[in-house]
Amino acid sequence: MAGSPEEDVTGSAGGTVPAAVGVRGLWKRFGDQVAVAGIDLELPAGQFVGLVGPNGAGKTTTLSMVTGLLRPDSGRILVAGHDVWADPVAVKSRIGILPEGLRLFERLSGRELLAYTGRLRGLPGEEVDQRATQLLDVLDLAGAQHKLVVDYSTGMRKKIGLATALLHNPEVLFLDEPFEGVDPVSAQTIRGVLERYTASGATVVFSSHVMELVESLCDWVAVMAAGRIRAHGPLAEVRGAAPSLQAAFLELVGAHGRDDGQSLDWLGGGAR
Amino acid sequence: MSAVTSPPGGAPSPAGTPRGTAPAAATTAVFVRIKLALLRNGLRQSTGRKAAYIASMVVTALFAALQLLGLIALRGHPQAAVVVVPAIALVALGWAVMPLFFASGDETLDPTRLVMLPLRPGAVVGSLLVSSLIGIGPAFTLVLAVGSVVALGHGAAGLSAGIVAVPLVLLVCVALSRAVAAANIRLLTSRRGRDLALLSGLFIAVGAQLLNLGVQKLSEPGGLRFLEPAADVLRLLPPASALDAVRAAGDGAYAAAAAQLALNGAALVLLLWWWRASLTRLMTAPDGSTLQAAAGPDRKPGGESSRLAALLPADRTGTVALRTLRYAWREPKSKAAWVTALAIGLLLPVVYAVQGNGSPYWACFAAGMLGLQMYNQFGQDTSAFWLVAQTISSPRDAYLELRGRAVALAFVALPYVTLVTLGFVAVLDRWDAFAESLGLSFGLLGAFLATGTLASVLYPYSIPQDSGFKNVAPGQTGQAWIGIVGGMLASAVLAAPLLAVTVWMHVADAHDWLWLLLPAGAAYGWAAAETALRVGAPRMASRLPEILTAVSRA
Repeated sequence: MAGSPEEDVTGSAGGTVPAAVGVRGLWKRFGDQVAVAGIDLELPAGQFVGLVGPNGAGKTTTLSMVTGLLRPDSGRILVAGHDVWADPVAVKSRIGILPEGLRLFERLSGRELLAYTGRLRGLPGEEVDQRATQLLDVLDLAGAQHKLVVDYSTGMRKKIGLATALLHNPEVLFLDEPFEGVDPVSAQTIRGVLERYTASGATVVFSSHVMELVESLCDWVAVMAAGRIRAHGPLAEVRGAAPSLQAAFLELVGAHGRDDGQSLDWLGGGAR
Repeated sequence: MSAVTSPPGGAPSPAGTPRGTAPAAATTAVFVRIKLALLRNGLRQSTGRKAAYIASMVVTALFAALQLLGLIALRGHPQAAVVVVPAIALVALGWAVMPLFFASGDETLDPTRLVMLPLRPGAVVGSLLVSSLIGIGPAFTLVLAVGSVVALGHGAAGLSAGIVAVPLVLLVCVALSRAVAAANIRLLTSRRGRDLALLSGLFIAVGAQLLNLGVQKLSEPGGLRFLEPAADVLRLLPPASALDAVRAAGDGAYAAAAAQLALNGAALVLLLWWWRASLTRLMTAPDGSTLQAAAGPDRKPGGESSRLAALLPADRTGTVALRTLRYAWREPKSKAAWVTALAIGLLLPVVYAVQGNGSPYWACFAAGMLGLQMYNQFGQDTSAFWLVAQTISSPRDAYLELRGRAVALAFVALPYVTLVTLGFVAVLDRWDAFAESLGLSFGLLGAFLATGTLASVLYPYSIPQDSGFKNVAPGQTGQAWIGIVGGMLASAVLAAPLLAVTVWMHVADAHDWLWLLLPAGAAYGWAAAETALRVGAPRMASRLPEILTAVSRA
């Protein structure tokens, strides 16, 4: 698919909105297991995009390939019109990432981590320190800025990770499970920052398996299962006639009709 | 929790159902069965681990047998007590610190795991004490104690004192180990405790060299007199005093022997009381560890970091070097590797010097040990390497990244190697060899930086973060060996021209020109490292995802 013309990929998604991310024929196998089985997708710019699917659907693998952290077996990926693998200079400065399951430099304090990341990105030192102060304030980390990240709680780690992803003001932000294990207060803080960020025209792509969250946050969703995209489009379109995204999702991934615990008839009150 | 907080021997459990507290004997039997199952399960692992498990048992058994033979041979020697008493004290010290470094070895060491079970602290202490007597360590201690009695005991009095002393020694050792673990369990299960455990490899590496030095000293003629002052103090302290009681009883000093044995008994009671008090506190007080972590004081790290930053370049190279140096100090695995390199690099030449084989050229060893730190740079980052990969989009970025790591290493290695070389030529009074030794060291350091850079880029592998001993993730041993052994051979080949010139200058009697080796070695080392950075950078830039995958396995 590498030879397909660029217009195909950067074309519009759903009419007038330009694509922030374009994916064509993306494949990834690990041994015999197919993690991503040929994804074609265009994510609209300036929106809150949700990538939803059950565990093992291939969300993390897809996001890793889109952000240049994992080499695809085949396929082409454009971010803001630039090929991720052919033009890393243009892409890496335009994206921010909050990966799932990868560490941070945990033996730095929160502030040191931001100072380090910003300088690696080539920003001037004073600018980095100023932005870091503001991010730490907004994300409610100012009180723990000199504590080592290894001593942070899960929510604090997600927030400092988000700060490192935002520091260089990227055009597109990729967040893998940003709300996983995060307490409601931190979740609300993260949400506020992200909403302000998209309102200014930037794009947020995030993966999650919490449907209520996706439903309340996203304008546009893509549903993944077993390495393929099952449905994509504006939220209302994907939800269709179903009462909620959760119901539509269960329908799409074929999770109906399972034994939902009826065989555990001994469990609960009564005879012990 | 009522079963735990109610006074010992209090009312039976509320409903009188089978859910009440188990009787002490049954609890003990359960703990003993758990311990036996743990030992058996050692044989039910993968082949490699099973082999290591059996090998460690065989080695311990052999070591114990040799010690027993040695102790029997010591029997009747006038200075037997001078050897035996410190030896037992050393074993007791081992028992005391072992849980701090090997907490993961026995999960019953962590009493907080037993909190949810309806057990009383008294019953737990008894049961754990009995089950702790099973295992390789107690068996080793038992053999050592019996051997010591054989070495020291004379006559019926000595023998009867020995019969009391052996179980006392064993019980004091085990109770000491458990009591220390219980008192420190908050530390052991905290991040700082786990950091400490990761340093255990370091203590073994450096301890082995110190032991080596000690054995050198003691095996000199009359070397045993170094031990006498230590033995005089240790014979007053349990558990070593129990064995000195055997000697005293054999010598007819019955009162002294009885006092020493009584002292051991008192020590045992005191340890059990301390252990039980710790257990009661752990099993009834709420665990505030997370509370403390969240609300601890937020202090700005001292100014030394910013002063360090001022010494380093302001570009990416400086940023990377500063992070590497901070990690060398703060990250336990990095710290262990750095301290081992610094200590062994200094200690081994000292050992050779003590043996009479000293040479200023041995200072090169320090350069080599530090140079090895350049290997597997990205494995040391763990999966946090994604952050580095995200900010490298050209060979130029990769070059600056690699250079930053080399600069961090040189920042420590250059002054250190210079000081070590200076120290050796001063001690050995070989000032004539200073310039050439230092030149060779610099050349070797450059060669190691060069090969380490290339090995880091081409053969990265994961470093498991949870063990102080494993430095390669399963399945990547090949990568690691190719990188390190191939790299060391390549370093030797790289440094060979410099060595050849040195030898030639000596043979050709060009002693007046030997000082030239200092600038030549420095220039050669710099050129080798710089070339490797330039060769390695484009390869690194094109291999970022592969490197990230390789270092994210553990």
